[in-house]
Amino acid sequence: MSGGADLQPHRFPQSKAIDAVRWLPQPSAFHRLVAAAVHDVDSEASSVEIHALTSQNPNRDPDLRLRSSWTSPSRITSLKASHKAPLLLAASTASGSLHFVLADPVEGTVDSELSVAAEEGFHRGPISAVDIQITGGGECVSVGEDGRVNLASVGESGVGYRRVFDSKGLASYASVRWGSPAEFVTGGLGFGLHWWDQRRPGGPVTQFKSNWARGAAGIVHSIDIHPSRKHACVVGGSCGTVFSWDLRWPQQPVFLSGSGLSEPANSPSESEVWEVHYDSHIQSSNTASTTKILPVMMCSEDGILATLEQGGESTVVLAEPCAINTFDIDPQNPSDVICGLEWESIAILTRPRDSPVMY
Amino acid sequence: MPGMASDAGDQTMIPLSSEVVRDEPEVHPLRLGLRPPISGISISWSRGNLLRVAFFRDHDAPDGGEEDVGGKVVEVRLGGRAIDGCGGVDEARRRRVSYGSVPAFALLQGQKNSFAAVTRMSPYPSLRAEWWENVLDYSKHISSLLGDPKPLLSSVIDDPKTILNKVEEPTYLKAAWELLEIFYVDKQSLAWLPEQLVDWLADYDRLLARESATVHSNLVMLQKKLVSLQVVEDDPEYWEGVSQALAIGWLEIVVKLLRLHGSYQLDQLGDRETENGLVETVAVLVSTMPRMRPDLPPGKLGQCYKTKPDFVKAWEKWREQINKLDCSAFWFQCGHRQTREGLKNLLQIMLGKVNYLNSATGHWMELCISHFLYVRPFTMGLDGTYNLAQKCMQTKPMSQAHTLTGLLIGILGENTEVVLAKCSKAFGPWMVVHAMELLTAENTQAEALLHEERYNLGGISIEELNRLVYAQMLSSEALTWQIAPVYLASCPKQGFGLLDILLYMQPVQHQRVLLKSLEICRLYELESTSSTIMKIAGMYHWKHGRKGSGIFWLQQARDEIRLNRIAQQLFDYIGKSISDDSFKQWEGMIELLGSEVGTAGGLEFLHKYRDYKKFLQHVRDGIAVDVARQAVESLIQLMRSPSTPQRFWLPLLRDSLKLLDWRDRPLLNVPETNLLLSKLQELSMAKLRPDFCQIETSSQDLSSIRLALARNLGRAILEEGNLNLPNIDPHGIHVRAT
Repeated sequence: MSGGADLQPHRFPQSKAIDAVRWLPQPSAFHRLVAAAVHDVDSEASSVEIHALTSQNPNRDPDLRLRSSWTSPSRITSLKASHKAPLLLAASTASGSLHFVLADPVEGTVDSELSVAAEEGFHRGPISAVDIQITGGGECVSVGEDGRVNLASVGESGVGYRRVFDSKGLASYASVRWGSPAEFVTGGLGFGLHWWDQRRPGGPVTQFKSNWARGAAGIVHSIDIHPSRKHACVVGGSCGTVFSWDLRWPQQPVFLSGSGLSEPANSPSESEVWEVHYDSHIQSSNTASTTKILPVMMCSEDGILATLEQGGESTVVLAEPCAINTFDIDPQNPSDVICGLEWESIAILTRPRDSPVMY
Repeated sequence: MPGMASDAGDQTMIPLSSEVVRDEPEVHPLRLGLRPPISGISISWSRGNLLRVAFFRDHDAPDGGEEDVGGKVVEVRLGGRAIDGCGGVDEARRRRVSYGSVPAFALLQGQKNSFAAVTRMSPYPSLRAEWWENVLDYSKHISSLLGDPKPLLSSVIDDPKTILNKVEEPTYLKAAWELLEIFYVDKQSLAWLPEQLVDWLADYDRLLARESATVHSNLVMLQKKLVSLQVVEDDPEYWEGVSQALAIGWLEIVVKLLRLHGSYQLDQLGDRETENGLVETVAVLVSTMPRMRPDLPPGKLGQCYKTKPDFVKAWEKWREQINKLDCSAFWFQCGHRQTREGLKNLLQIMLGKVNYLNSATGHWMELCISHFLYVRPFTMGLDGTYNLAQKCMQTKPMSQAHTLTGLLIGILGENTEVVLAKCSKAFGPWMVVHAMELLTAENTQAEALLHEERYNLGGISIEELNRLVYAQMLSSEALTWQIAPVYLASCPKQGFGLLDILLYMQPVQHQRVLLKSLEICRLYELESTSSTIMKIAGMYHWKHGRKGSGIFWLQQARDEIRLNRIAQQLFDYIGKSISDDSFKQWEGMIELLGSEVGTAGGLEFLHKYRDYKKFLQHVRDGIAVDVARQAVESLIQLMRSPSTPQRFWLPLLRDSLKLLDWRDRPLLNVPETNLLLSKLQELSMAKLRPDFCQIETSSQDLSSIRLALARNLGRAILEEGNLNLPNIDPHGIHVRAT
């Protein structure tokens, strides 16, 4: 593991717990928009806030200003943004409701909100995760601890939803990610992964369950699928575990970090990996081969933001004394990373653009 | 235990305000979504001012199906926000300070432990000497969290009439912290302690304005007036301001004010040459005042001397110059009365005339500082400071005790308990816990006092008690409870016990909180706590219908007893619901159980049962003999396994009728058939036992199974008889010999 934690992030104290942060499409060259799911402990209010990030002048500190906010009925468990116009945000809550927030892509003001209320037919209890289609009609898949998988979409007459699967609590889901317009992957307990295809309803098409050492099993917290590699996903979970799951070899995960590695010293983290994203800022030496896993960035409970590459190479980008609960890489400027820190602040860091090679 | 409510009137730790009682009672409507009747309510405190209310439904009430729950727990928030007790720092800011001080505190504790280990092995006195440097780093870090009085607007053009720079309002907390740092930690600068106090007062004099007039508040008023004043030297307030600034050593302000004197104006220079010469001489004298300190921040005036002999020499020389000027004949040529008197006044202050100092200062701390500067410039360290402070206080008593002055008196009186009490009263537990590190940095007496184990505190030290109180405060909030373990871990006696309690108090229903608790257990190696929490979580999820999560957490906790117990319930459920096409639902959970023996307790059976059902499914789909034989093997395994519950024997046999009646040839050999027959026999015997679990079976089922088994036995015996003859194995299947 090589250390590169000399990047100084800009910190923006929020006085509220940060549950999720997302970059939004950049409306102009002068400012960018950021969405955050926050929770105010004093007033017990949760909301989705849209902030404008101004000044990319290297001599001056950037400024994060609140543009608008939408108050949620319950704490937000997951927040995703569609990067296609119109600006659409999907937020799921701990009480089991799903909300679509439509915002002005330039001003960052909330235009309207549509929701599926917490009702018996949708989810029972908290929704663990949602994911929104980047292409197509913005269809949103939601999974919950109750073991239900639902699809919801915004139509002309409001939000409609339909049940894809109900395990009646026999399985619980913790994460979900679209792979293609018809396929998505869910993750849950025991590092269990299910690959679903809407064209083949009734249950998961392929599944994976870890069978390695006892006690090392954990929960899949986050999944990412690269648009150019739709047959594989990268997964982050408990015990510092990050691995790649390829449909072509569904029983042979490739470990990037965590308990499955032969040398545990290479793992930058030992605790929960909250989120993983493919890191397009780092140009991998061999991107042509589809068997090589693309570089990945992860954030963890023990305060590590790190990039991982196949072969156990990892670089710590940021090491915090508190947990990094969420992060996002700007798809338009992959050098820029936004993090939500446990100690009520948002951190934004910009990696040097001229040296995007391995550290 | 700190924070525990007590019912005795005079022992209450938090006095109940009578206003609260007089108010209308507050009503908190609770939405339960629970069907009546409710048979019981249980109320307990959750963290902070949250009340946890549990409702239980009547057990005998008619069951509303699977979805019905036996009760519900809700949390009610009482009252508004916590009362701010932190000297003008709001809640969010206070939390930010709490967060920020965690790494510094943890680092210092780590250093302390390794330092203790080193000194125990080789007691080098030099190491001890370096210890305060660690504490100083710690102190600087904490101080930077408490706010940085930066200039708000740094205007490029220097306005000659702006005498006070606009800075952010400093906080009492930071003022108090810096005071402690000056006296307790920074050993290097103890030699120029008076100068440190001058600097301190320059930063925080404005905070003392609440009780009495201060130099700062007078200068603020003068500043406003200056803008409209044409001839400054005619105004007595101008001269008052100059002398006050001089008295407490704000030399740059003195010089700046003097240069506003009318005699500097070009059109008047000719007429008032002598007057101007006098003003300028005084200004030069002021700006060259010798000061016993290593350096001065930019913009401040004076000449620095690092060693006492140099300083004494320079001081004598400077005083001589002042005396000379005082007796100079030029004063008679100065026609402007106010200027003459004003300048003379300044000279008297610089000469350390006590009555002049008295009239030029506002409150006792300013007086005290002026004494340091002009009456006893050679003071080193603390000697005699306390008496001086007492004397100054008698001269200029304050109407009411101020937080900062009270703290200063405690420090000067070298009374650790008073200092702690003042910190505690004014700034709360955060200050006490973090300031104790400063108090004990170099002071062995304070160390002994704070570390002594006391009987009346239940065998813990004052230090530990305060840490526990602070941890308790942190624990009561949803956002700060996770930093409480850092402080609890530094409490040798009761810390870990309370940490356990804290972890058990956390709500397991929130996945994030649960994982946070487990992470804390991992960091502090609390394995048994961790497994208990997992068990609690497992049972919680199980009871709330999330069977998969329940099993997962119980498996993580390796709780075989509970797994076995819930297995029985699960089997009931399966017996009712599992049909061949509902297996997809079970898939997720069964995958979770894993195929290894021992991880799932009694649930191991489920895995095998699923496999068997799968084989049967295939058998039904086609007529492959291989698959059928696999199904039989799986069936035999199930029937042999002790973990297969008895109540599944009959359904299993019923499901396998097709295998028993296999068309081409018998699939079960003689011993296998015998095994099944004996199980069937055991089952009919078991009917007579009282704990027998009745399964709905018709006698027709039973007899058809018996018939099938008997037929199979017959065929198997025949086949094996044939096998004894060589070359006869028409299907090429391996059949085990008896």
